[in-house]
Amino acid sequence: MQSESVRPKLNSATDVVNVVELTNISKSFPGVIANRDISLQIDRATIHAIVGENGAGKSTLMKILYGLHQPDSGTIAINGVVTQFKSPSEAMAAGIGMVHQHFMLADNLTVLENIILGSEPTKYGVLSLGDARKRVKDLATSIGVEIDLDLPISDLGVGQRQRVEILKVLFRGAEILVLDEPTAVLVPQEVDELFVNLRKLVANGTTILFISHKLDEVLSISDQITVIRQGSTVATVSPKSVDRLKLAELMVGSDLPSHGERTTKVGEKILLSVRNLTVLAKARKNPVQNVSFDIFESEIIGIAGVDGNGQFELCEALLGLVDIQGTVELGGKDASNLNVRERLDQGLAYIPFDRHREGLMLAASLWENGLLGHEATLSRGPMIDVKAARKSCREIIERFGVMTPSELVPAFVLSGGNQQKLVVGRNLANTPKVLIAAHPTRGIDVGAQAAVWKEIRRSRDAGMSVLLVSADLEEVLGLSDRILVMFDGEISAELDPKSATPQILGKYMTGMQ
Amino acid sequence: MKQSKNFRLVVSIFCVLAIISTVRLWTDQDALTSSGTIGTALRLTVPILLAGMAGLWAERCGVINIGIEGMMIFGTWFGAWGAWQFGPWVGLLFAILGGMFGGLVHAVATVRFNIDQVISGVVINLFAFFGVRYLSELVYVGKPGGGISQSPPQKSALPRFNLPILSGGEIAGWKSPDFLGWLESQRWFILGDFGGIGRGLTHNLSWATVIAIIIVPVSAWALWRTRFGLRLRSSGESPVAAESLGVKVNRLRYYGLLISGGLAGLAGGTLSIVASSYYRQGQTAGRGFIGLATMIFGNWRPSGILTGAMLFGYAEGIKLVASDSITALFLFIAAISAVFFIYSVIRRKRVQVLVTLVAFIVSAIAYRTIDTVPESLTQSLPYVVTLIVLATANQRLRPPAMAGVPFRPGEPH
Repeated sequence: MQSESVRPKLNSATDVVNVVELTNISKSFPGVIANRDISLQIDRATIHAIVGENGAGKSTLMKILYGLHQPDSGTIAINGVVTQFKSPSEAMAAGIGMVHQHFMLADNLTVLENIILGSEPTKYGVLSLGDARKRVKDLATSIGVEIDLDLPISDLGVGQRQRVEILKVLFRGAEILVLDEPTAVLVPQEVDELFVNLRKLVANGTTILFISHKLDEVLSISDQITVIRQGSTVATVSPKSVDRLKLAELMVGSDLPSHGERTTKVGEKILLSVRNLTVLAKARKNPVQNVSFDIFESEIIGIAGVDGNGQFELCEALLGLVDIQGTVELGGKDASNLNVRERLDQGLAYIPFDRHREGLMLAASLWENGLLGHEATLSRGPMIDVKAARKSCREIIERFGVMTPSELVPAFVLSGGNQQKLVVGRNLANTPKVLIAAHPTRGIDVGAQAAVWKEIRRSRDAGMSVLLVSADLEEVLGLSDRILVMFDGEISAELDPKSATPQILGKYMTGMQ
Repeated sequence: MKQSKNFRLVVSIFCVLAIISTVRLWTDQDALTSSGTIGTALRLTVPILLAGMAGLWAERCGVINIGIEGMMIFGTWFGAWGAWQFGPWVGLLFAILGGMFGGLVHAVATVRFNIDQVISGVVINLFAFFGVRYLSELVYVGKPGGGISQSPPQKSALPRFNLPILSGGEIAGWKSPDFLGWLESQRWFILGDFGGIGRGLTHNLSWATVIAIIIVPVSAWALWRTRFGLRLRSSGESPVAAESLGVKVNRLRYYGLLISGGLAGLAGGTLSIVASSYYRQGQTAGRGFIGLATMIFGNWRPSGILTGAMLFGYAEGIKLVASDSITALFLFIAAISAVFFIYSVIRRKRVQVLVTLVAFIVSAIAYRTIDTVPESLTQSLPYVVTLIVLATANQRLRPPAMAGVPFRPGEPH
């Protein structure tokens, strides 16, 4: 790489201030323009945030910078030298490292193996593990991270996995660090720790590109903020000169989601009652231990918690997918011994955790996806009533604002937000009595989020009870009438959303209180 | 931690030895641990071991290889042909090349063209079976001793040797004592068994066996201690992560499958060159699949595969050498089941309690009631062992996370 030789050393006096300069970058995929004429200058040793809705083109832009995609037009200059990256390894050689939104780690390999993979210190092809260990340890100490290098990744928590990702790119000598939605998976305390590490990095001379749509975090950590909307840069601003609202307006144009006070009242009737529910362990500890709660008509109960503290198993238990101890009552009738189908017939609905794994058949058309769970009503004898199914899917598309050319396209064509709208719409379509909504807005943009929230609220006002499971504290605080915190399979607190804050929730979620 | 692990290993080996020694003395079936049985078992272990290692290399790089059986068939045919034409060593080389051909076909199909890995493997098995039959018709028919289903016999065999001092090998013309043989003939509790097993492992050894055993630590070293191995494993664990770090996943999958095919071919070669002196149709007899079973039993680790292969080899060996002893083996299985039953009661593992209890009762009844085991039953013994082992094998298996999942480089993820 020619840029390697001319790359100015860090800390040396150099007149090139812009460590990264993107000029008029455009990139389109079949049918979509992802980036349109994007220009961006990034100063050395700063944290530069790039914000925008999902689908706005942030990730594509970063993938171009990292060599995963090649731009259709426009130039990339690193340290003032125009370069072209044909592959990530060329970008890495130029000092660019990327921490992906979905961690790129091999679960069964150890921390050390994951970090050194791809640039292993070797002697005649044999790994120099001692040498590698020492270098990684030094690196970890320099940014204040403590980690056992011999554990397999599967034993680590989310926060630690992210540290491994960061160490991985630093190990490769990255001086420009791209962080794609780094806080999406962290609780507030972990975010604070991450920010401490990042500030140390910047102090050491690293430049950080911070991609996010969490505006508060962006405002608190960045030196510069660039807003991207529909593939184009809207503005580059200083965090001092804008506030949250202004930034959000730049991001979405208009149509901001707002929580607002509810005007209807929580009903008297208990629609879902759970008593001493325990899900028995397959391995060690019971994933759900002695959980009891009631949800009234027209009430939203928020379950806050770090992923993996029993929320998933709780939802499975309520659906009737796993064996339980304790009782579940639906609409005043005991449902403990009903199977999934019978429970759904009693008016239960479920927005699943992972729309790709549990919610959709990606390769199947939208109307087939819309049909799932409603086969009984949308069929004639043993045959599917295609006309009725397509009509019902068109209604979902219209009512929930799913952006799609028609109900005939396969689900994978849609953006994440639109896929989620379809899943939500399918489950709200025939007015269920009780809705279990697991991460209903995870990984979707602000506009789609607002639409989903609106629909959930509307159904609630019509009398539906909602169990909202979410790691997005803003969502839990904004939607819920009561909040339960789950930690280690148990309900560790019941809080009033009016008095709770993300910090208080974070403490209960991590078992610090 | 490490010390206690080794300690546990030694203790469990000692326990098994003690149980089998008791059974031997009780039933008077010396063949259970005689050097003859163990030697045969070792010879039968080798192809299964190599098939298991072939599976290991394929799955570690992320491709399921159902086609090991077919690659072994290539190995048997080409190995026998090479040995018939040029002698046993060249024969082994041809066996490896024949297997590598199968591995290459599998790689092109699954890595280049993204064909379903199981389907490609099954096709290779069928293709190999009928392909070599066609080749036999072209090459072997009409040659003395050859025909459509077998090759002419080879003129020479691979050299064999005894280990000096322990098993009476020769050092520069001097015939050293056969210490283990003497120990075996004493029939002492445990020591006699130790002698028999030891002599079986060191007496009348073929160099091919030695090579096969050496492949185990070499594979472990190559996979866990070299850059190539780390990258290859990462291709099986998380190809997306590996690609993002500049690892050429598909190229490594080619290498992995070539090595896998070569090992499978060598496995076939040992069948047609070492275990016999000609190629015969159906010689592999499903050992490729048993090899895959040992790979699962061995938790995708070389040492585990070695253990599993020895178990299968022993079951098959005792069937061949001393089918009378099989009734004694029922007693052995009953004793082992009893031990595991007690263990699982203490550990409160309900399923395992049930399985071991049933195994104990069935084998105990079998021992008390059955005098002569029908031929068909002895034939199926290795497969029964396979089933039992897989059913009771530890549930904490750790297969490579992305084995079997096609990978297309550069796709958005």
